[in-house]
Amino acid sequence: MRLRSIACLVLAAAVAGSSVPAGAQGPIRLGASLSLTGTYAKLGKNQHEGYQLCIKELNAKGGLLGRKLDLVVYDDQSMPPTAVRLYEKLITEDKVDAVMGPYSSPVSEAAANVTEKYKKVMVMPLAATTSIFKKGRKYAFMVISPAEGYLEGLVDMASKRGLKTIAVVNEDTLFSKAAASGAVELAKKKGLQVVFTEAYPKGNTDFAALLTKVKASNADVLAAATYFDDAVALTRQMKELAVNPKMYGVTVGGDLPEFYDTLKQNAEYIYGATQWEHTLPYPGNQEFFDTYKKEFGHEPSYHSTAGYAGCLIYAEGVKRAGSLEADKVREALLKLEMKTAFGEYKVDPDGFQTAHKMVTFQWQGEKKVTVWPDDLAQAKPRFPTPAWNQR
Amino acid sequence: MNAVVTPEMIGQVIISGVLSGALYAMVALGLALIFGVMRVINIAHGPLLMLGSYVTFFLYSRLGMNPFLTVPVAMAALFVVGMLLQRTLVFRVVDAPELSSLLLTFGISIALVNVAQNLFTSDLRAVEYITGSWTVGGLALSRPRFIAFLFALAVTGGAFLFLKTTRLGKAIRATSQSREVALVCGIDVPRIHMLTFGLASALAAGGGALLAVIVAIQPEMGGVWTFKSFLVIVLGGAGNYPGALLGGLLLGLVEQLASLFLTTQLSEVVAYVLLVVVLLIRPTGLLGGRQV
Repeated sequence: MRLRSIACLVLAAAVAGSSVPAGAQGPIRLGASLSLTGTYAKLGKNQHEGYQLCIKELNAKGGLLGRKLDLVVYDDQSMPPTAVRLYEKLITEDKVDAVMGPYSSPVSEAAANVTEKYKKVMVMPLAATTSIFKKGRKYAFMVISPAEGYLEGLVDMASKRGLKTIAVVNEDTLFSKAAASGAVELAKKKGLQVVFTEAYPKGNTDFAALLTKVKASNADVLAAATYFDDAVALTRQMKELAVNPKMYGVTVGGDLPEFYDTLKQNAEYIYGATQWEHTLPYPGNQEFFDTYKKEFGHEPSYHSTAGYAGCLIYAEGVKRAGSLEADKVREALLKLEMKTAFGEYKVDPDGFQTAHKMVTFQWQGEKKVTVWPDDLAQAKPRFPTPAWNQR
Repeated sequence: MNAVVTPEMIGQVIISGVLSGALYAMVALGLALIFGVMRVINIAHGPLLMLGSYVTFFLYSRLGMNPFLTVPVAMAALFVVGMLLQRTLVFRVVDAPELSSLLLTFGISIALVNVAQNLFTSDLRAVEYITGSWTVGGLALSRPRFIAFLFALAVTGGAFLFLKTTRLGKAIRATSQSREVALVCGIDVPRIHMLTFGLASALAAGGGALLAVIVAIQPEMGGVWTFKSFLVIVLGGAGNYPGALLGGLLLGLVEQLASLFLTTQLSEVVAYVLLVVVLLIRPTGLLGGRQV
């Protein structure tokens, strides 16, 4: 009897002892749904790795509010309705302490409805569509530059080189539509004539008719608001149909190393827009690049870095708020000004990003070379793009 | 805002339509065979096509094989996979109500996609073998698509020749016409079912292998092909094999012409509206159902 109670006491002490330093609360569980399969898989995975690296580094520095961090991730198969279900599950069933954004604008737009309903602050590092943040949502925070600005560099360079006409095509989804309409607006402002616009459905594989029309429009510039596989298919068929604009630029996907691996020298001269390059002079950028490469065995894309930075930004918000409480974190994030490996962060009262900058690159000799804006440019663009049969 | 459509543009788009139409026909012929012989609508047809694409991708990237030479390999491999699927699973639903076969093949389809996601990952793959085009009379003829078109013609032609002239082909058609009579005439019907499923899977795989040089490969690429094939065989007449050819070409042309005159976005809508119209006017499809 006596022995047993002593053993019992010892055990109780041991249990209590081990849990006291952790604040008796266990780790902070950070939930997210990501596009690990489906159309956006490639990009969603990079974002996932960004989150993982951020959590690892935070934990190495002692966690957040004295607690370790745990990442709970589900696969939304790149589908907004699935993401809605998963955020419901994360918040109501798994009861995670906080959430992070999913990949892509359409998925973020859908998921934000859920997090808003449950008053959860959500930093959405890969949502680039302005409208998501201009609907009166209180808890949504933007990290990357808005979609409307993706093709700004291309349009600006074209107008400075005296080009007159532009054709704009886009995948018919939230982000691409915004990028295309941004390009159209900007082109008009810069005095370019918009001679052709058309949207195509997600998953489209045959662009022959579309490109035949682009060719007939004789546009000097082709601006395509794409993701990865449509950018590849478009480029291949441009070559087949001898569509020869003087400048041709894509949005997302064009910056992935796979873009060049897939298209080989056909990717030369193509312009792309990116939120980030590892060569940009941001604090901690080079270190992030090296660590990431070592950790995951491949180079990060801007999706990786945005994920990484978004997670750090949220953590900084929590640190300044001194709590996980949504309204306090929200206040802190609205006031926060921060420079990460991804560049600058500062939002307006709607959570809309105002400080971060886009850059435009061109594939030159198997490399992405930053060509715009001038103050960050590594080299001059190779202009004009030669016809396919003259390369 | 759209440019004026010139005759050259129409010519260009008709070429593209015919090129993709032949592929549609080839893949849809497989679906038509299974439906004709077993009365099973095979939802897994697209995922089988996807497996064919991966065969080509791996033979090309690992062994450096010419992607067009991988077509027979992909077809042979999936012929075996198809027969195994039929022998182990599909034979159970041949006489069951249609819903059972839909559910079963839907299940197989999900399983195949997930196996592919696990084994091959969801990374987009591409076979960058041949690009560019030939110019014929001012019109561009896409090299990869034209070669794929020739292969599709050859394979589809071969399949028809096989069905028309060989004993086995005749047995397949006989089973398709009437299973009972075929059985009475001494045809081993379960064996015919198995071979038909294998043959149909091979046709899907051949389509997948050819697509590999045209589009990006990923585990979910097949889904849209199930629907397109279904559209094709209903247009042409379900279970009617020449109907699959006509339906395939028609779908290819309609999609491209709709993209040209309307927008790319509307081309799918037009294809399905066409389906509704055909079903209203000729409920058995353009060439009528089930004549072999």
